[in-house]
Amino acid sequence: MADARVHIDLRDLQGDILRAYGNDYDHTSYAFVKITCPPEQARAWFSGLLDHVTTAEPWKDGKPVTTLNVAVTAAGLKALGVSDEVVASFSAEFREGMSSRAERLGDTGVSDPGAWERGLGDGSAHVLLTINAQEAEDHRRALGLMRAAMDDAGGLEIVFQQDTALLTGAREHFGYADGFAQPAVQGASDDKAPGGGVPEEDGRWRALAPGEFVLGYPDEDTRDDPKRTLPNAPADPLGKSGTYMVWRKLYQDVALWRRVMADAAELYQAGDEHKLAAKVVGRWTDGTPLVTHPDKPDPDFDATARGANDFRYSSDSDGMRCPLGSHIRRSNPRDALGFQGALTFRHRMIRRGMPYGDPLPDGKPDDRADRGLVFVSFQASISRQFEAVQMQWLNDGNIFGLGHDKDFLLGDPEGTGKMTIQGRPPFFLAPMEAVVKTRGGEYLFVPGVSALAAIADGTTG
Amino acid sequence: MSTAPSAGPITATGTPSERNIDGQAIAITVFSTVKWWGRAFLPVLFNVTKRTPKLTTTIVQLSFIHFARWSLVTKIPYNGAPQPKQRLRYPHMYFESNFNGGWEEYIDAFSHILTSGMAAFWGSSYGFPKALPVGPFKAYIKENEIANSHYYSAYPEATITMVKAALDLDDKLAPLRRSAKGMQPDAFARAYEKMLTDAQRSL
Ligand code: HEM
Repeated sequence: MADARVHIDLRDLQGDILRAYGNDYDHTSYAFVKITCPPEQARAWFSGLLDHVTTAEPWKDGKPVTTLNVAVTAAGLKALGVSDEVVASFSAEFREGMSSRAERLGDTGVSDPGAWERGLGDGSAHVLLTINAQEAEDHRRALGLMRAAMDDAGGLEIVFQQDTALLTGAREHFGYADGFAQPAVQGASDDKAPGGGVPEEDGRWRALAPGEFVLGYPDEDTRDDPKRTLPNAPADPLGKSGTYMVWRKLYQDVALWRRVMADAAELYQAGDEHKLAAKVVGRWTDGTPLVTHPDKPDPDFDATARGANDFRYSSDSDGMRCPLGSHIRRSNPRDALGFQGALTFRHRMIRRGMPYGDPLPDGKPDDRADRGLVFVSFQASISRQFEAVQMQWLNDGNIFGLGHDKDFLLGDPEGTGKMTIQGRPPFFLAPMEAVVKTRGGEYLFVPGVSALAAIADGTTG
Repeated sequence: MSTAPSAGPITATGTPSERNIDGQAIAITVFSTVKWWGRAFLPVLFNVTKRTPKLTTTIVQLSFIHFARWSLVTKIPYNGAPQPKQRLRYPHMYFESNFNGGWEEYIDAFSHILTSGMAAFWGSSYGFPKALPVGPFKAYIKENEIANSHYYSAYPEATITMVKAALDLDDKLAPLRRSAKGMQPDAFARAYEKMLTDAQRSL
């Protein structure tokens, strides 16, 4: 259901942003391409991609077998010949890049960019090609076509590639169902407003203005502006239907996580590890929210059902049901900070992550394999949305009255800190281990379809 | 006030925005030129605000704000030579505040939560765009904000919320500390758990 007052030009928007490809595709590959040839040559290759780019238009003949989406880094814009003046119209954090902002993001110690995987965060990633496929066979074919086009063009190199695949039951590696709580967007997913929008008085919710996630549309700040000014965006034609993308490879130390949780649970409510795990995230592993089901998960819980995400924190202001420091209460506090969500509604993001690596079977010892989450988020402002959440809500607890406590699910690269689980008496998880490590990442821009064409034609101004 | 002989100007180090931060605390200082009618209006507004505590409860509830202070400057105090004597043609609004968190979030809170208050305080200042939309309001504050030469926080590791939590914890721990000496182990365990339960918002 879409709000008729807002018209989003879906033909001009790339796919998988406002509407998830979701579980339609089992396989996703992220290929970071470095351009070593002159801009004209790179643009010839780039324009060859355009016919294959998947837009946000609803699928008429069922889902395509494979999809292609394109994003660029600031260095990539320059390598494609976009002028310095136009690049300067992009946000500062995008131009600086993720690795330059490591300290504020908490990418220190074991997560320091110095230890990142080659090709990420060192200025060599220019273009990100995201390929989705239903079957392994289609996946191989699409990757083959991508490489052949690059070889034909010459002067292009894949500096980093991450292949990912869904795990059974849309779980992430620690075992939780993941990826379903998303912001409701006016004109695209208005029906998801209860629980996905902005909490209003009288228990109602309002979908977020599209400009929070897509540039060239009114956002939450300008939606009621009589002058109809639009939020800051790069210079046209790049400013239309684009969005900023955060891409992070987050390694998850599953063996360490299981040990931490098992050890801690020995002291917790007669060894109830399942409940302890729920307390850390704020949802049971099947996704049932703790606020509505504090004692046990709902066997009929369906994350996609209407209203599945419809809850608030004000009825649990002391955190007895859902801890004040749990992952979902931190990453989207809804009304938890009071003032009808006025301190939270500008800090939302659309998440489109995928797990990578094979699961570690239950009870198996540590195999030291590389596995974790490719975290992907889309937002109109990386600093206001992704970075503010990462820095102030996940890596610090002050706003929640939790001192410097960090999110226990993400752990602490320094190996200090704790989590308080409110209760009678409260329970403490300590110390925090570095269960999640950043292996690399990039800030990217996802141009709209006409903007992609302008880049390919060299007509970005 | 007696001052030591000046050893020359104190030179500030760091970039202007770094100089407004010490540890967890951030300072904001804004000067704006006030229109003629503000000279009469603002003192009345300040008076009413002071006498009506309800008007300031919201700002108190915004726990990351240590304080916020608006005042009207009509003349620059003269401290003797070598300071040049200066006349202010227009009154100026002097705003100062200390807070924890981020600059952007701080101004967001002002815009979205204290919308009418902001209009009242800054409405008589030249160039004030309105508190909403927040984009132009932030640009206005940035434009008129001045960098400190020096800013000092006594507890750079702590935020105001943490200091308050520590004081609360101390209050709740003190009775147990006093009574614990004579307790049997199981009585102590019960008392300790009760203390944890009572003090958990500060732990
Ligand atoms: C390895 C790292 C991570 C894991 C395993 C993880 C896992 C989860 C899980 C299990 C959920 C609940 C299911 C759902 O709502 O979809 C969730 C929700 C969420 N996570 Fe994460 N997450 C990780 C990192 C992050 C990071 C780095 C951010 C942001 C900077 C983030 C932001 C969010 C948000 C915004 C939600 C939705 C909350 C809501 O709307 O109620 N997560 N995550």
